[in-house]
Amino acid sequence: MKGRAEIHEFVQGLLTASGDDGPLADSDSLLFSGRLQSIDAVEIVVFLEENFGIDFAQVGFDKEQIDSVDAICTLTETVTKSN
Amino acid sequence: MDPLTNNSIDVGPNREAQRAERLAAIERALLTHPGVREAAVIQMSGNHVAAFVVPDSKFIDNDLGRAAAGSAIVGKWRKIFDLSQLSKQANSASVGFNTMGWDSSYTRGAIPDEEMHEWVENTVGDILRLKPRFLCEIGCGTGMLVMRVAPHCERYVAVDQSPAVLGRLREQLRTAPDVAARVEVVESQAAQLDRFSENTFDTLVLSSVVQFFPNVDYLSKVLENAINIVRPGGHVYVGDVRSLPLFRLFATSVELFQSADQLSAAELRERIRRRVDREPELVLSPAFFLSLPRRFPKVSRVDIRPLRGRADNEMTRFRYEAILHVGHDNAPVFDSEFLDWAERRWGLDEIRSMLRLHPSQAIGIKGIRNARIEKDLAAMAILDGTDAGFTAGELRKKSEQSANKGIHAQALFDLENEDQGFAVFLSWVACRNDGTFDAFFIPKQNLQGSTFPAINWPAPDASAFLHHANAPGQGKMRNDLTNRLMELCKQNLPQDSVPREIILVDSLEHTS
Repeated sequence: MKGRAEIHEFVQGLLTASGDDGPLADSDSLLFSGRLQSIDAVEIVVFLEENFGIDFAQVGFDKEQIDSVDAICTLTETVTKSN
Repeated sequence: MDPLTNNSIDVGPNREAQRAERLAAIERALLTHPGVREAAVIQMSGNHVAAFVVPDSKFIDNDLGRAAAGSAIVGKWRKIFDLSQLSKQANSASVGFNTMGWDSSYTRGAIPDEEMHEWVENTVGDILRLKPRFLCEIGCGTGMLVMRVAPHCERYVAVDQSPAVLGRLREQLRTAPDVAARVEVVESQAAQLDRFSENTFDTLVLSSVVQFFPNVDYLSKVLENAINIVRPGGHVYVGDVRSLPLFRLFATSVELFQSADQLSAAELRERIRRRVDREPELVLSPAFFLSLPRRFPKVSRVDIRPLRGRADNEMTRFRYEAILHVGHDNAPVFDSEFLDWAERRWGLDEIRSMLRLHPSQAIGIKGIRNARIEKDLAAMAILDGTDAGFTAGELRKKSEQSANKGIHAQALFDLENEDQGFAVFLSWVACRNDGTFDAFFIPKQNLQGSTFPAINWPAPDASAFLHHANAPGQGKMRNDLTNRLMELCKQNLPQDSVPREIILVDSLEHTS
């Protein structure tokens, strides 16, 4: 089971790859702030599908669910509890 | 002869011949590389030279990895569109109006419904003017166009690569059996049009979809297939295309909108540069479409038109539609001289008066200042014109002051509905990067029933044809190619013949 640290590290890697070397707080907005683009959201979704077994076809998808490290952690915790 | 020494002086033809041979030698050296399809070298100031290189598509695809990267991009967009249909809002979208994913670059929120309604109704109007009966739409999405256009067609083939999106379309078609009877839904990538026979359709539509293609060569392949399956007399309609000549202006507009008042001009410039560099979507010059008749003789002519619409948004400001006329038609030809708007700066009322004074005469006006983007142009001019310290808030105020001198494109379209009896045509064929447009007014009785007269629009400068598109996600591989070419020149040419810069371009065909 992976946790907050791994999620934070993964998102930080995405930001770095897109040329954003700024600090990342877990509450920072990623998509609505423009730090990541829509096409980057796919990377997060695939990461969550592969590492947390989240099936978005089942749980639904809204950008808010993955807009920050905090939001992603909430999503993974919710899905894990319900399984 | 030199009168002082009686020796010959190396001037005129000899020196010119040496210079030409030196440039030709550089071109030959570049052309030995498998990544180079065409090369042209020009003398810059002093003794420096610059090389323009058209890369070889297969080399970029296979040796530099663009094909694999492109496939990954196509897959990512499919996943994004699949995901867009998993939200609560998508579940409750009304029939024919599922706008999930239509987000504003300015606000990052959904584009307001009233603006989307105007966009879709105008797009439908433009497609129906093509008088489609057998239509194929590539990238049909959830069916905003299908539900409105299919009732006017005998057969409508709706193609999309996203299963979730097509699921939504099928749901909607179940509520409208009359429409469904004319519609065939096909899950396929845009590049796989070879499933259809030659001359199957009279209209092929790619609306708001080519920006999600990975590169301009992919688009070329799709269009080659599209043109093949459209019968002579038909059209390929490419709508909602993001404009390359206006790309930097778009980035300036969005970044200035999003900036806090206190942001410095230097930081704003950096954000604009980053936005252009990081752009994941394909942004196209009208010049790309204008070059198609040379490559595909089945295309007889091309229209490039700014979008209709009163709404002030990124579609009406920075996007256009390209209409490819397939085969030759009997449209009347108009090749009148164009009046230059800059000489008289006519307002709308003056144009209206001009039409009243010459009710039977076709009138063209070129270079009309575009009211939709005046503020953005003013802001970009200030940003480019001075290094002086100012803030984004100050820049916004300054750009506001310089506006309101141009004409709104929709105001000209509206003249059609007045009693002058003129049909109005607007064009961005000239590819100007200040967004000025050309207008042509034709007395309706002179149209001979044609919806699309052949107007001899002012042509673009040759330089407009150098760059057909941006190269999303290809920065690293293109740098790799220019580095390899520079190394090749260093190894094979005298030091003073090594180009100062190597510029990758899409075409050199208009520069000779």
